[in-house]
Amino acid sequence: MAKVDMQYIEVVAPIDSAKDLFDFLQVRSVMEIKKLDETDGLDYFETGPVVTSIEKYLDTASTALEIADRYAPEKSSLLSALKGIPVLSESEYIKKSDEADEILGVCLKICAAEKNITENKALISRARAAMDGVEPWLSLDVPMQFKGTESSKAVIGTLPDEYTADSLRIALAQFLEGEERYECEVVSKSAGRSCIFVLVHNEAYENVLSALRRLDFAFPSDPTKHPPKVRYERMKAKIEAAKEEIGNDTALIKELAAERDNIKFACDWFTIKRDRYKALQNTSAGDTVVAFGGYLPAEKTEALKEELYEKFSAALEAADPPDEDVPVLLRNKPFAAAVEPITEMYALPDRTDLDPNPVMSIFYYVFFGLMLSDAGYGLLMAIGCGIAKFKYKVTGKLKKTVDMYFWCGLSTVFWGALFGSFFGDIIPRVSEQFFGKVLTVPWAKEPGSIALWFEPVKDPMKLLCYSFLFGIIHLFFGLGCAFVKMWKQGNKTGAVFDCVPVFLLILGIVPIGAGILNVTVPPVLVTAGKYLAIAGAVSVVLTAGRDSKNIVGKLGLGLYGLYNTASGWLSDILSYSRLLALGLCTGVIATVVNTLGCIPSNKAVKAVMLIAVFIFGHVVNMAINLIGTYVHTNRLQYVEFFSKFYEGGGRSFTPLKTNTKYYQVKED
Amino acid sequence: MSFGIMFAILGGVLAAAGGGAGSAIGVGRVGRAAAGVVTEDPSKFGKVLILQILPGTQGLYGFLIAFLLLTQIGVMGGSPIQLTAAQGLMYFAACLPMAICGFVSALHQANAAVSGVSIVAKRPEESGKAIIFAAMVETYAVLALLISILAMFNITANINA
Repeated sequence: MAKVDMQYIEVVAPIDSAKDLFDFLQVRSVMEIKKLDETDGLDYFETGPVVTSIEKYLDTASTALEIADRYAPEKSSLLSALKGIPVLSESEYIKKSDEADEILGVCLKICAAEKNITENKALISRARAAMDGVEPWLSLDVPMQFKGTESSKAVIGTLPDEYTADSLRIALAQFLEGEERYECEVVSKSAGRSCIFVLVHNEAYENVLSALRRLDFAFPSDPTKHPPKVRYERMKAKIEAAKEEIGNDTALIKELAAERDNIKFACDWFTIKRDRYKALQNTSAGDTVVAFGGYLPAEKTEALKEELYEKFSAALEAADPPDEDVPVLLRNKPFAAAVEPITEMYALPDRTDLDPNPVMSIFYYVFFGLMLSDAGYGLLMAIGCGIAKFKYKVTGKLKKTVDMYFWCGLSTVFWGALFGSFFGDIIPRVSEQFFGKVLTVPWAKEPGSIALWFEPVKDPMKLLCYSFLFGIIHLFFGLGCAFVKMWKQGNKTGAVFDCVPVFLLILGIVPIGAGILNVTVPPVLVTAGKYLAIAGAVSVVLTAGRDSKNIVGKLGLGLYGLYNTASGWLSDILSYSRLLALGLCTGVIATVVNTLGCIPSNKAVKAVMLIAVFIFGHVVNMAINLIGTYVHTNRLQYVEFFSKFYEGGGRSFTPLKTNTKYYQVKED
Repeated sequence: MSFGIMFAILGGVLAAAGGGAGSAIGVGRVGRAAAGVVTEDPSKFGKVLILQILPGTQGLYGFLIAFLLLTQIGVMGGSPIQLTAAQGLMYFAACLPMAICGFVSALHQANAAVSGVSIVAKRPEESGKAIIFAAMVETYAVLALLISILAMFNITANINA
């Protein structure tokens, strides 16, 4: 039984040790905390505000890390991802956690510096805009707000169209009827706009201004108090200062980025703390005690009980679970555990389900190997995963995936050797094309084959029959699981009546079906099969309708059951023909690649061509077929195998744990 | 060259063209949806890429049939065998499942994969299920491939006998 037995327990502890107790439980990661059902006279801890403020700290820390990564990117490679995350012992972790406040200070500094940089950047662009605004006025010696002298008034502003002093005078003259008491000056003109300065006698002011207005004169929106040059210089200085500040802040961030590891730790630490306070919300508290319930693997109860009593004077006792929502934890040997992620992707087993992984794993590897079926590709997979597994010692979920591809790779090597495929037919081809020697194993029917068993391309029918055979074995294991599951649940009649007739029926049909596929079957077996099939069919008809009350219903449901069984199993078994199809696909395309590489007749050219085509072609072929194989292996498990017995829908066991991203905490 | 060999080659060409065209349209269609997701979240590239490749296998199967056929009738080796028109038509018929089903299933697999891309966009943890939905369609391409191969091999065996 690879599903771990879960036990529901209730814990009562003195309120003083509650914090340490939760610390301890979190590092141990053994228990999923749940609210107690009955809490007469006890209150729940209200930790919402604390959680919120910790989340704010966490946010600061992760923002700081993001900023540090942006300004001083960390060098990382694919290999470093394989190395996994560094491990901290419990004591190192506690010592480091004392520094968390200091680190938070660093994070705040980083965030402030980055905010400063953003503000200064905005300031620079505002100053640039202001400089652009006064640029046309730079040669004006008086302030743009200059009003004039005692006897004269100044008019400063812009006109559409480009004027010189003379052309402006001419333009104004048509509206002024001989009025001459004004002086024009064009400060600058560009792009259909003129900046003008006009000095007018007090008495002529109204007339000249209205004349200017008729030329669409406009006052500047933001006139300067000092000569424009002053503002221009001031803005220039501002930009310089802002630039310098940005430089300083950037340098500061780069310097503080050296604390990256500590910031990462702070992120982890605040995550841990937040999770702990969240768990505390499920705790009931009185004046002197706290109480909470939870699930844990049954085998850990005793050890935890003693430890809790010794360290925290806390009492632990097993109780009836409050509901049926018992979490699921799977534990398998590494060989079977490797396919757990595949099962999880479908659904976790629920309370009544068997853990399918042990049975599934062996079929998964066999089918994967059979479909990829090239020893070269399998060898590459096994070596790659072997390096990740043994040299880099990957952990966690990644380890399971690496393990899975490692076993799949070995299986692929096995099938590839049986079918004589190593990067297609590269070995016999090179030996023939370059050395003129036809390699053949002694037992081969025709020359040129190095298959230990046979080549699927030469005899696809044979492999088709074997595919169906493997499929039937796989399905029978599924049916066996259904039998065990029902038997364990106490539904013994169901187990016998639902499974045994199908076994008989299919076993009986196999020899007959084999005959159709031109396989020679001893006549005894065919005859025996006939009787088995009839017995199976009759018993399906007799048992499938057993839930119906009247005889007509029983017979009707029985016949319907027979039809369902027969059609369902036929399509299930035929589905395994993909084992042949995908296997052929890999092998033939690999051979095509090698054929293309050997087109030139000159041996030197041929060698160069072959190497280039070999590398490119096989990389592509391997990648495409890996995806196809993965998808179709999953399908055979999900659709054909699981449908026989597996329900799924379990909830995964989520203990209070140190859910960290950058460091791993290990017990001392 | 006889009519027989012409029919046979026509069949192989149809298989490669049908599967290839279907896959090209399909992969393109999923690629557009995938690009949309990557715009929002580049880290989903790996997940959507697998979905994009799924309708691409039909092109591969079609190519496989065409190649096998060319080998079977000796065109690949440079010495085509003698075929009667009837024999050529048999090869032609053998290629049809792959040509038709490859084209149609690639398009429909692409539709399922496009919907799968939106699963990845909203719930990336369920991307495995998105792949399975699309892969369901592929079953029929695999079955067509199988029938085409078996038919072709048996026709060759009969001609040689």
